[in-house]
Amino acid sequence: MPDQGDATGRTGGSTGGVRSTPPAAVRIEGLWKRFGEQVAVAGIDLEIPAGRFIGLVGPNGAGKTTTLSMVTGLLRPDMGRVFVAGHDVWADPVEVKSRIGVLPEGLRLFERLSGRELLGYMGRLRGLPGEETDKRATQLLEVLDLAGSQHKLVVDYSTGMRKKIGLAAALLHNPEVLFLDEPFEGVDPVSAQTIRGVLERYTASGATVVFSSHVMELVESLCDWVAVMAGGHIRAAGPLADVRGDAPSLQNAFLELVGAQDRAAGDSLDWLGGGR
Amino acid sequence: MSTPVTAAAPAAPVTAVPALPLTPLFVRLKLSLLKNGLKGSSKRKAAWFGTLALALVVGFFVTLGLALLHGRAHAGTVVVILAAILALAWSFMPLFFPTGDETLDPSRLVMLPLRPRPLVRALLASSLVGIGPLFTLCLAVGSVVAVARGAAGAVFAVVAVPLLLLVYVSLARAVATANVRLLSSRKGRDLALLSGLLIAIGAQVANFASQRLFQPGGLAHLEPAEAVVRWLPPATAVGMVDSASKGDYAAAGAQLLLTLAALAGLLWFWERSLTKLMVTPDGSTLAAAAPRKDRDSGPGVWALLPGGRTGAAMQRTLRYVLRDPKTKSAWVTALAVGLIVPVFNALQGTGSLYLACFGAGMLGIQMYNQFGQDTSAFWMVAQTLSSPHDVFVEMRARAGALALVTVPYTVLVTAVTAALVGNWADFPTALGLALALLGAMLCTGALASARFPYSIPTDGAFKNVAPGQAGLAWLSIFGGMLASAVICAPVITVTVYFATTPEQHSLAWTVLPLGIAWATLASWAGLRLAAPLAARRIPEILTAVSKG
Repeated sequence: MPDQGDATGRTGGSTGGVRSTPPAAVRIEGLWKRFGEQVAVAGIDLEIPAGRFIGLVGPNGAGKTTTLSMVTGLLRPDMGRVFVAGHDVWADPVEVKSRIGVLPEGLRLFERLSGRELLGYMGRLRGLPGEETDKRATQLLEVLDLAGSQHKLVVDYSTGMRKKIGLAAALLHNPEVLFLDEPFEGVDPVSAQTIRGVLERYTASGATVVFSSHVMELVESLCDWVAVMAGGHIRAAGPLADVRGDAPSLQNAFLELVGAQDRAAGDSLDWLGGGR
Repeated sequence: MSTPVTAAAPAAPVTAVPALPLTPLFVRLKLSLLKNGLKGSSKRKAAWFGTLALALVVGFFVTLGLALLHGRAHAGTVVVILAAILALAWSFMPLFFPTGDETLDPSRLVMLPLRPRPLVRALLASSLVGIGPLFTLCLAVGSVVAVARGAAGAVFAVVAVPLLLLVYVSLARAVATANVRLLSSRKGRDLALLSGLLIAIGAQVANFASQRLFQPGGLAHLEPAEAVVRWLPPATAVGMVDSASKGDYAAAGAQLLLTLAALAGLLWFWERSLTKLMVTPDGSTLAAAAPRKDRDSGPGVWALLPGGRTGAAMQRTLRYVLRDPKTKSAWVTALAVGLIVPVFNALQGTGSLYLACFGAGMLGIQMYNQFGQDTSAFWMVAQTLSSPHDVFVEMRARAGALALVTVPYTVLVTAVTAALVGNWADFPTALGLALALLGAMLCTGALASARFPYSIPTDGAFKNVAPGQAGLAWLSIFGGMLASAVICAPVITVTVYFATTPEQHSLAWTVLPLGIAWATLASWAGLRLAAPLAARRIPEILTAVSKG
């Protein structure tokens, strides 16, 4: 594969600094995915430290969702390996699947179950005892402010409620690493605050949250470690301060990294507005 | 200081009427969607081209056969009845099998400044592109060739073919649009039951018709029906060719007018439903706004199910039968057809106890495409499936839920049929055979679920379906049924042996334990073989069922 060397070369140099933390939560080695002629993920290497709030940022189409799908075992990579808590995702799914929780983008759920039924179902599929599942479900519904609509069918939930019930389903089995794809997209500020509170409490206990987003302010305020993706490559990775560098904000650093500054419309849109 | 692009662009004000004619644009759009939809999946591509080849070959031979009827005594009867059957097929098939006809989703065009009439015209033209219309075109050509004689006949024949096609396509679209409105309206969800029943009864009518047809002199029996049907559109289009060929121009003219009126009526109904559909909120919004009684969260009867994954998966499957409109409609159809076929035949005096197998077979089809039935929510299950054993337990639970309904149902249907036919002696034999068939269907269903998963559009008929998928669905179900018959062959052989050897007839009851054992073995073996296969293919299955 041609530009693999290129990709690793550009990976931020600060990964070495975080090696002090015990085994990495996620280790990605030479991951590739191609859809037809389009290369979605072009050979990425990344080591994500455990016990942190990790942000995976990048413009639309950067390969964030594809990467997260491959890391969580939902999409088979063309090449490369992924380790979660030291276990190979594709060789040892038994060890990995019980240690991770996933909230994918799009969020298709079992629409014709109620919120409580969905949690009860997922817990039992995860092998939790029925009573324990129901106890955890009650608490999660309470904390996520869903207790009032627990008997409504998921099909009738709003976007924010769907994200919250999806998060509850992903947390139910107390995973070591939680992967969230755009968890705040389309979510109102109140629900976002609730989700945020739960996630902060969860990482404080030593668990790892990896979430993708393109809202830089959010990433800057939540994460202590970020990886920047663009065009299927990792452009930079490391503690927030290192990636931000001298730039005034993460937004500026990001635009610089993905090479998207100073892209104004010029006069190619001079028909837009004005003399109608 | 303007670029060449802006210099070329006219500064004229934007008009609401599109300058381009809409119809060719839509046909091109449909062709592009078809072409792009086939990209990427070699399986769907193979299925699509396979279906195309099959349609062309079968179409060619049927057309040839129909053309050979030219000048025969009952030619008119055959083609008129065929036209009516085709009309039924066009109305109901799209509700069950996602077809390429659905590639254009009108609800995506809501924001465009399009008038309903040109939109319907353009959608109609684009609906004519596809394998189904091509196959129907072959049949229509064959039908008119069979009855057309003389110059007048030829003229009416040339008019009849496009008219037939247009009526069929607009019929299919009108029914599908109306059905989307039904399925997405809150009250209409329960009408899914009704449409299931309607289809079951329709299938039985077709069954009687075909029985009559294959009796000696059967075609003569059909003549009274034909006399009526030739005045019902769209069979009128074929009828008018026949009338014109016989020199009855008044009848031919009247039939032409009836066909045109039917086409106009269908287009009007379609246009009206479409307009309503496009400006009415989505069903989920309406449902959310309406008050809904709280669901009982207590365990209730569910407590009787085993714990862990088995119980949870069974409970989910059974809840979906009750709550998901598509699943509900499919189950109701299967249950109704399974009961109606043996019972009606028994009442008619043509019944056999062995028709009770029908119900087991119809419900067995529900085992096919298990993961596709989860739609894209399958990722939630996929996350928890980490070993072949997990997959085995999951699939066993789903098969168990199916058996929980089907086994008592099969006993009931067999008993009712035995009572009606008055043949209690063969009751154990027939039950044994039906159960063996169910086991074989569960076996092939599990294997097909692992090997040939395909996505089911979640709401109504308008959601986009990847081309070639319908072929895959047909292939998997019909191949599976054939394989099930083969798997059942030993039990069938034993049954036939006892039925044809009177001196051994007293031992015929042994088919019941044999059937039960065979069913258990077949479903166990099917699940055992399917589980490791599905476990290896989880990401691929997820991709396949998440499309569309």
